[in-house]
Formats: sequence, structure tokens, C-alpha cells
Amino acid sequence: MTDVTIMGMLAGNLPSIIGIIIGGLCIAVGVHFVPVGGAPAAMAQATGIGTGTVQLAAGSGLTGLLAAGYMYMVMSAGGAEVGMSQIALICATGAVGAMIMISVTMLVGNWVYIYGVGVPPASAKRDYDPITKDPQAPYVAAGTVGQGLPTVCFVSGAIGGLLGGLGGSLIYCMLMWVNADPAISSIFAIGIFVVNAVLPSYNIQGTIEGFHDPKFKRVPKAIVACFVASLLCGIIAVIIPSAAMLAGGA
Amino acid sequence: MSVAAGGEAVSTETANQVDTKGIVVGLVGIYIAGIAADAGIPYLIFLAGIGAVFATKMGADAVRRVCSYGIGTGVPSIGMLALGMGLISAMFGLALGAIIGVPYVGPIVGLVVALVIGFIVGTLANKVIKLNIPVMERCLMEIAGAGVLVMTGLAVMIAGSMDFAVISEKVITTGYIAPVFILGALGILHPFNASLGPDETQDRTLVHAYSVGAIGMTIAGVCSIATINPIAGIISIVIGLAIWYANFMGFVRLVKRDAGAGYVGTGLLPPGAM
Repeated sequence: MTDVTIMGMLAGNLPSIIGIIIGGLCIAVGVHFVPVGGAPAAMAQATGIGTGTVQLAAGSGLTGLLAAGYMYMVMSAGGAEVGMSQIALICATGAVGAMIMISVTMLVGNWVYIYGVGVPPASAKRDYDPITKDPQAPYVAAGTVGQGLPTVCFVSGAIGGLLGGLGGSLIYCMLMWVNADPAISSIFAIGIFVVNAVLPSYNIQGTIEGFHDPKFKRVPKAIVACFVASLLCGIIAVIIPSAAMLAGGA
Repeated sequence: MSVAAGGEAVSTETANQVDTKGIVVGLVGIYIAGIAADAGIPYLIFLAGIGAVFATKMGADAVRRVCSYGIGTGVPSIGMLALGMGLISAMFGLALGAIIGVPYVGPIVGLVVALVIGFIVGTLANKVIKLNIPVMERCLMEIAGAGVLVMTGLAVMIAGSMDFAVISEKVITTGYIAPVFILGALGILHPFNASLGPDETQDRTLVHAYSVGAIGMTIAGVCSIATINPIAGIISIVIGLAIWYANFMGFVRLVKRDAGAGYVGTGLLPPGAM
């Protein structure tokens, strides 16, 4: 027997559970912002990036996690204490990492749509782009529901990357508080990330254009679902100690 | 998915049979491998891989049943969800075994936790998000359970132990957890993703699940060369490749059987086939 007990881990890590829930909710809302077009978008027949929600969420989440992990290493170098202000910096780094990934994906995707496929980016969900006020309807090809990534989708996607990266980094920091083991924390953060990315993607049924899409109004349902799922994952996650703690090292 | 049908999948092997085989073979394989490795015989670790192959088949069958209703996000999402839930539960089970000092409870605790998480997530998906798929709760329980058994099986194969500290050192810190995660997810999501469509048949999908599961087992065997014992690793690789070969050839045979218009190796279809 070691001195690590389940109740002790639960009671001592209440702030981490709350942090994991907040992170999970950030991811859930972030998924709704990312313009995902699915298979139709891959054929330039729908607005958005031409792949599934989970692939995009995983891509931006992992990039954010890498950035956050590196920042965490820098912040905690020499055994420095990682407090709230350091966590804010780490989460900002993760958010920027995820935003870069998703923005590059959208930019290069748009090059392919514009110069490769030869279609103008246009949304079929709105007659006018809410940001640039450009008319959309004349540019939507007949028989499609839009194509490419117009400005509003790009902005929305960047916000989605920000929230996803923020949530993923926050979960990683909270787990590092619990077990101080980067390997266990990162793999667990990925697990929680995936659960919180897939549930909202069922909510939007696989495709969404961004915050201007009528499907965006379904966000509350995803928040309720992801709150319960994150609470469950958080409770389980904070009970997991690191191998060093089990050996009596911490 | 645009190709999704809208209804219950036709099965020749019932869900209960597949689940029983998956859970029993999965757990027995993991336990024999783990106990034998602790007793100083690492050569039986391939049994954990065989357990993982059967668990993969159980997950693939559940994916097949739930995705035949059309979930709108593509089949891969549910495979990632499976391993996301499976990863959390598997690590929790193994860690709990370490906390209470009895490593052998790990896989069973992980399985039970996965079933609970799967049920809750399935209920959330059905009742809150309103997917309204009648088999959702049960299938997500099976998928999460399969995720745990695949994760635990492959992790035990690589670590040669059920002890959380050893698995943490040899599987997680070394990064072998990444191929375990993605190969486990592929084994569960790929068979139906590759076979879906109006002419999908259960035996073809499940034979494919065996072959993808065997690829995971082979890769885990390669990893175990470095972590446990070269001979044990090579035994796992040879058995994994044999399972893969037999099942992939079976898959090709069933593809030919199910090909509605006949088949040719290359070129145009023969006259009359159209």
C-alpha cells in the first residue's frame, strides 16, 4: 500500500476538476466555430474545410498541446512553481499554436479551392458575409451549398482554434498539477480532448460553417453534454497519480 | 455520411455472441499474458495481442451497428471516441490497481469504468444531443469496452506487465502509447469505414477487423522487442503476421464473393458482367 488514496486525490484536486471542465467546455464551443465541410467540402460542393470535425479538432488540439507543452517546460525550468499567471501564458501559447494550425489549413485550403478547383469562396447560409458585407448568393455555384472559405468562415475558424487550443492547454496544465508527469498528462489530455470534440460534432451532425450558421444555435446542448462528460473525465483523471507518486517520491 | 443507410444492420453473428467472445477472449488473453510475464515467462505476451484482436472485432461490430444508422460525422469520429474513452478508463483501471496494491484488478476495473462512461456518453448523445439512435447506448458501451481491452492488451504486450508503474515507464513515457492509440482506433473504425455501403456484409467487415487488429498486434510486437525480450517480440510478430495474412486473404476472398458485377485483376469487366 502507498499513501496515495482515492479520496485524498479527489479532495486535493478539486481546482483541477473545475479546470478540466472549463477546458472541456472551451473545446466543445470551439468545435462549433470551426468551419467543417466534411466530404462535400472536399469536392468543393459545400463551404468549409474538406475533412471531418474530429480530424480538425485533433490536428489543432495536438498542435496546441505541443506548443503548450513546450511553454510548460520553459516555465517550469529549474523547478519553478507553475501558478496562475504561468498557466495563463501556457494557455495563450497553446491557443496561438492551435490558431496557427487551423489558419494555415484554411489559407492553404482556400488556395486549393481558388486556384486549383477554380471556385470563388462563398457561403450559402447567408446572402451577405456578416463581416465584409460582400454578397454571397451570386457566387454560389448551382447545385452546391457554397464552396471555399469566405472571410466570415476564416475568422470563425480562427476563434475555434483559439478556444480549442485554450481548452486543450488548460486540461494539460490541470493534469500537470495533479501528476507532474508530462507523458501521462499529455496522453490524458488527448483522451479528454477527443471525447469533448466528438460529442459536439454529433451536435452539429458533422458540418457547420461557423458562428453565422443556424446550427450554431445548438451550442447549449453541446455545453450540457460536454459538462457532464468533462466532469466524469475530470474525476477519473485526477485520481491517476504518476509513477513517481506511487513510488513515494512526491 | 452521405452514404449512410438508415436502419438496423443485418447480422449473422449476433451482438451478444460478438461481445461475449470479445470480452472473454480479451480479458483471458490479457490476464494469461500478464500473469505469465510476471512469473518470468514473457513468451506468452502474444496472448494479450490475440485478446486485443478479438476486442477490436467487438468494437468494429459495434461501430458497424451504430454507424449503419448514419451518425452524420463520418465513421472515424466514433473510433476516436472509442479510444478516447478507452484510454481514460484503461489508465484509470491500471492506476487504481497500483493505488490499492493489486495490479491484477486493472483490466477489469478499466472495463467496468469504460462501460459506465460509454453508457453515460451514449445517453448524452441520445437524450441531450438527440441523435435518437436506438442502439446508441449499448454500442457506445461496447465501443468503450473494446477501446479499453485493445489499449490494455497492446500496452501489456509492450510492457510485459500489468503494473501501472511499468506501463507508465515502458509504454507512456517512451511514446509507444501513440501507435497503440492510433492503431487501436484504426482497428475499430477502419473495417466498417472501408466496407460500408448497401452491399456491406457482417462477415466481410469482421474479417477485416481481425486483419487490422493483427496489424496492431504486429506493431506492438515490434515495440516489445526493445522493451521486454527480442524472442518474445519476434514470437508476437510472427503470430501477428500469420493472423493478418490468413484474415486478409479471407477478406480478399469475401470481397470477390460480394462483388456484384464480377471482378478482374485489371482492365475492363468481362462482357456480360455489366
